[in-house]
Amino acid sequence: MKYKLLFLFLALLFCSTLQANNTYLTALQKKASKEALWQKKSWLNLLHYRQSSGILSPQFESSIDQPSFFLSPTGHQDPEGELQATLAALFSNATNNDQHAQCRFIARFNWLTEQLNIQKNQLPAINCKSYTGWKARVNAEKITLVFPAYYLNSPSSMFGHTLLRLDPKEGEGWSDWLSFAVNFGANVNEADNSIMYAYKGLMGGYPGQFAVVPYYEKILEYSRIERRDIWEYELSLTPIEVNRLVEHLWELNGVNFDYFFFTENCSFRLLELLEIARPGINLTDEFSLTAIPIDTIRAVERTGLIKKAHYRPSREAVLQTLIGDLNTSERTVLRKLLNNPKESTLFGLANERQQLVVKTAYKLLRFRQNKLARDKAVAQKSYQLLALMNRYPVKKQKPVPPPVQPEKSHLSKQAVFKVGERDNKSYTEFGFKMAFHSLDDNEFGFLRGAQINIGSVRFRRSEKGTVSLQQLDIVDIFSLSPRTDFFQPLSWRIKGGAERVYRHKNDRLVKHISGGVGSSWNISPNTSAYSLLTARFEAGSHFKSYIEPALGAMGGLLIHNKIGTGKIELASQKFLGGIQASDLNFEQSILLSKNQSIKLNLKREWLNNTSLSEFGASYQLHF
Amino acid sequence: MKKVIGSVIGGAVLMAASSSAMAVAAGGPNCGWGNLLFKGAKGIPSHVVAVTTNGTTGNNTFGITSGTNGCNANGRLTYGGRDMVQVSSILDEFSEDVARGHGDAMNTIAVLIGVKQSDRSAFSEVMHENFALIFPNEQVTAEQAMLSVNAIMKSDSRLVKYAV
Repeated sequence: MKYKLLFLFLALLFCSTLQANNTYLTALQKKASKEALWQKKSWLNLLHYRQSSGILSPQFESSIDQPSFFLSPTGHQDPEGELQATLAALFSNATNNDQHAQCRFIARFNWLTEQLNIQKNQLPAINCKSYTGWKARVNAEKITLVFPAYYLNSPSSMFGHTLLRLDPKEGEGWSDWLSFAVNFGANVNEADNSIMYAYKGLMGGYPGQFAVVPYYEKILEYSRIERRDIWEYELSLTPIEVNRLVEHLWELNGVNFDYFFFTENCSFRLLELLEIARPGINLTDEFSLTAIPIDTIRAVERTGLIKKAHYRPSREAVLQTLIGDLNTSERTVLRKLLNNPKESTLFGLANERQQLVVKTAYKLLRFRQNKLARDKAVAQKSYQLLALMNRYPVKKQKPVPPPVQPEKSHLSKQAVFKVGERDNKSYTEFGFKMAFHSLDDNEFGFLRGAQINIGSVRFRRSEKGTVSLQQLDIVDIFSLSPRTDFFQPLSWRIKGGAERVYRHKNDRLVKHISGGVGSSWNISPNTSAYSLLTARFEAGSHFKSYIEPALGAMGGLLIHNKIGTGKIELASQKFLGGIQASDLNFEQSILLSKNQSIKLNLKREWLNNTSLSEFGASYQLHF
Repeated sequence: MKKVIGSVIGGAVLMAASSSAMAVAAGGPNCGWGNLLFKGAKGIPSHVVAVTTNGTTGNNTFGITSGTNGCNANGRLTYGGRDMVQVSSILDEFSEDVARGHGDAMNTIAVLIGVKQSDRSAFSEVMHENFALIFPNEQVTAEQAMLSVNAIMKSDSRLVKYAV
């Protein structure tokens, strides 16, 4: 409120300076009007206007509703008035420093100057000290699009994230750790707990803001703390285009945007910045429903902006590679060394192998300490290992072999057509999934063992011709992280929605939330086994109390091969009211192409003393 | 021979540290200059926030001052006039790079100090040889480590021009 008053006051100031009667300005304003400059895409982009088609004329509204971002009091919805007000403000004599419109809105200023051929000598001379200093510090000539990959154990990072990195000219011997990273994220209230974060983040409860921080902070955050690999895509923007982006970024300092987790999120906003950098490209239009980070990278790739990709492995990936290089006896030495970091422990190994074991031990110790407070004993051990590491000659380490680039994976949405038979009655089924990846989908470019499905729906048509809802998964996440000698992660599952299940002699639609926690192991490089303890809350009229809880267990095998992925799973659960429900399920996918597959399934279900079988075949298409 | 040089430098480091004329630890008590080695993730702010909404908190997140880590922006951490606030955040990474003789963190510190590309390999080599001086034990702070780096550069003919 205070700011609104202040703004009105400032607006008055601008209006009064207008009366100083600048004929040059009036001429410019007339020219802008005549050319309908405000309708140009570049202007609409700079102010972040979105167009909704009104009945008589198009309506505009900016994603930004902060009054200080506009020079016209109606600027939020009035691109034309805003352009005229901006022109006036550029000629204002009210101030001659950083607060002047020429400094605050440098990108708009430069765009208007170019469009209207504004004579610099007609403008008041303004010294934009803050901007000049900031720009020199940012020192950008290249832009890299950064994609910290998927990480299932945190709700906001399941789909990955994107940010930009501003790099200086090549050959300056710079360190990319010191480049600035441009990150769009919700500006959250630190007092809120994580459930509030998630809720408000999804529902638009937090304003979104751009932040510009040194890139090493992001490296530490993602590769060190969150164990996420980072992909860096160097873009082919010219220095002039980069400059345009940087100028606009300055205008966004401290500006609040609408923020929605699925649509107007980090990735969407970055696309807007790229559209401003290179006028004429259209990146945002296809993301009106969801802007999944990897899809936005694909969109950028389609415009030909991506020059090359660089892989920055997480600490975990580095460690896995190091450990994978050690043989059994070396692993034994590694374990001993962690307890007793002395040179004598290494006795018997060749120098080069010693060096490798010491390095691995150090990294493992630090990795385990990652999220913990400083511990004196661990610090001492860490230091001993470092000192030991220092005794060996300098040797560059082998780089971690990069996995398949994530944008090469299958697309995010999926359509399914299925024919099958259940209890000797045939059916056909149509399904749609908003996003993203199932364990038995084509794993090319995905993290193995990470399933995340959002908004999946299936309709089934029976023999008689009735169509009914078969399944609605609001969310279905399954995280299988294999346990090894050195890592003991949990595997878990959560699923919620509605599904038709066999209860009381009939298939009934029930609502449910199900989850489980357990472990998974790699039996061979391409086969993993898992077992989980599960719990389920099911709601339906077949229960006396409407909602009933159940406890159970499940176990399965996941087999990856050239044909596709096979899954065998046995699950059983007992409800509080006494119902015992079990099923044995076999699925095999057969890959036809990157985005197409056939899936076969066989299922046997038991409910107390009855049982039935189902089998089917589906055609699945990612698009 | 290296050992001899080492002990000479060691003396110089001690003297430098006691006069403490070079590094100005300004910016308030939470600034990180006093961070111990292996402070770990707890020393890095805002990750809790970041993991849930990709968001940020707080001010000064627009690169106006570079990564102030809760420091007061007026008295920036300086090292002979250079902005060295980053060192405390990447001290762990730096110590590992010094121990093994190469790495991104070491390159970053070299850039911050202003070491030219042609002198970077000399910088890495000299740092690697003097690991025990820069990091004499696990109780070393970012400030102490950087004072030692300076003293070591002072006694190396190729790096002396970067010392203050």
